[in-house]
Amino acid sequence: MNPEELYLSLDEPDNSDHLWRYSPWKRIHPTGNIREIPSNYKQPNINLSFLDGSDVPNEVSITKEYSKSMKNSFSDQISMSFIESVSQDSKFTFKVKNNTVLEQPVLLRIDSESVNSAINLSIEIGRHCEFELITLIEGEPGWFGLLRKANIGEGSIINDVVVGQMKSGTLLRVDAINIGKDSQVKAGSISSGSEKTKADLRYMMNENGSNLRVLGSILSAERMHIDHHIEIYHDAPETYSRLDWHSACGGNSRTIGTGMLRVSDGSKGADAGQLFRNLLLSKKAEADSIPELEVSEHDVVGCGHGTANGPVDEEQLFYLEARGFSPDDAKDALIAAFLNTTLSEMGSETLHQWLAENLQDELKTLTT
Amino acid sequence: MSKDLKLLNIQDLYACIDDTSILKGINLEIKPGEIHAIMGRNGSGKTTTANIIMGHPDYEVESGIVELNGENLLEMETWERAREGVFLSFQYPQSVPGLQVGNFLRKSVAAILGEEAAKGKEFRNKLKESMKELDIPSSFLGRYVNDGFSGGEKKRFEILQLMLMKPKLAILDETDSGLDIDGIRTVAKGINAAIRGTESGALIITHYSRILEHVKPDKIHVLISGKIVKTGGPELALELEERGYDWLEEGSED
Repeated sequence: MNPEELYLSLDEPDNSDHLWRYSPWKRIHPTGNIREIPSNYKQPNINLSFLDGSDVPNEVSITKEYSKSMKNSFSDQISMSFIESVSQDSKFTFKVKNNTVLEQPVLLRIDSESVNSAINLSIEIGRHCEFELITLIEGEPGWFGLLRKANIGEGSIINDVVVGQMKSGTLLRVDAINIGKDSQVKAGSISSGSEKTKADLRYMMNENGSNLRVLGSILSAERMHIDHHIEIYHDAPETYSRLDWHSACGGNSRTIGTGMLRVSDGSKGADAGQLFRNLLLSKKAEADSIPELEVSEHDVVGCGHGTANGPVDEEQLFYLEARGFSPDDAKDALIAAFLNTTLSEMGSETLHQWLAENLQDELKTLTT
Repeated sequence: MSKDLKLLNIQDLYACIDDTSILKGINLEIKPGEIHAIMGRNGSGKTTTANIIMGHPDYEVESGIVELNGENLLEMETWERAREGVFLSFQYPQSVPGLQVGNFLRKSVAAILGEEAAKGKEFRNKLKESMKELDIPSSFLGRYVNDGFSGGEKKRFEILQLMLMKPKLAILDETDSGLDIDGIRTVAKGINAAIRGTESGALIITHYSRILEHVKPDKIHVLISGKIVKTGGPELALELEERGYDWLEEGSED
């Protein structure tokens, strides 16, 4: 069955579905007519380089062909088949050869300019690689879809950060990441631009010893609606995961974080935890965090979850004001600090500096 | 500077929190270059006095005067008081995860002493010197403000800020609590370096006489139930150490 046939064969997802409870598919679909599959979507502009603009070595490539070896059994079919359907002319493979170690982060810039578009990206990372990848989504489209299916090879150490910085429209993002044996992955998400964001991020650990940290720094302002669903599957012994998700919500915006942590029978020694924190910056801002657990294995190190919501801490404000910070500067500093606690964990100091500078302008919109 | 000028002038200060009266007529004057100490039991109003001077929003001033060099502090916001030259070393400094010490110090110094004072070689040298004096390693600058700091590290960090911000009035709220003898010596060295020989003044709030052996105060005030019931020289600290507060309480009113 091709993607269009698959998509059209599926029923509209029910609101009781954990994934679609807060952002019904009708609201995320580009036209709202869910039986429609737009056919005129173009390829966005894509550029691959090191963070300083220099060329990446031959071991790293992006080509306009698609790997068919990708496993995707754990993704949501609606959003995945829809992006596959509208990105027929925009299928790419990002490949990194075995044993590739890179000193500075790689930047994959995707600019949809002002037209609706989508990209279906297959990511193949070989064994024993060590590098950092930033995927930056820019443009002012009405709608953009990003599907990333990845296989991360055995023993690799990868910091993978996706920065959503579209100035308008709806972003639908689907990640399906397979994490190989003994590999260590930090998966960062920064979301600050689009009016609506629906992200379905899934991580599969079905080989021993894999280690995953999922980190989010989310800024919402004005009337933005940002919904991230994160599923982490522990399907092998001695696997480790931590989710730390920080959202700062201002204006009339709404952020949603739903987490699903699944530990299958046989995943002995699994160690998993998820924590959502929301900083509420206005009375009209809303933040919902719903972490859920499904643990079928008894012999685990630990499986926990938690959420915390609150405004800017008055005692922290007083402390900064006692050091001469004006009330606005103190508030800005505390918001930046709140987001920085996850941002700074996403990778190297070079990566962190770039991300922090990139977010400066976005932070201003939150507090003005 | 005129000898009659009062750096800090507190007259008939009454203050409360949540309708509970705490300060019941405080009178206190500190002249430029002087170091005063306030001693008293828990709940006597010592920290409230510090918070009122700094402008903590939870406290309400019912009546009275609080002036710095003749300027009415009670009409100023907290950040304006800080920029006017009031510094509070907190009893329990707040941690701010995500805010790096180096950035925080630069921003604080820029806010209080101006942008120029927070950049360039001079600032870096002063920072380096002060950190050395307080036995603070350079790796400290990359940590988050008070996040995961030990009690001693927090107090030394407060004194580092005092040394960099060069306030007119430093209020040190139980800066010696939780410090061992070496820690008290180090912190006292920092206080002396920041205040002695300058036109600045300090108000040290403490339970113990130990820090006062290293930072000799010009005057000691005993606060009981929101009132200063006795004022004396440095020898008063030793007397309090020997006799406690009961003998002073008998003569005080609630």
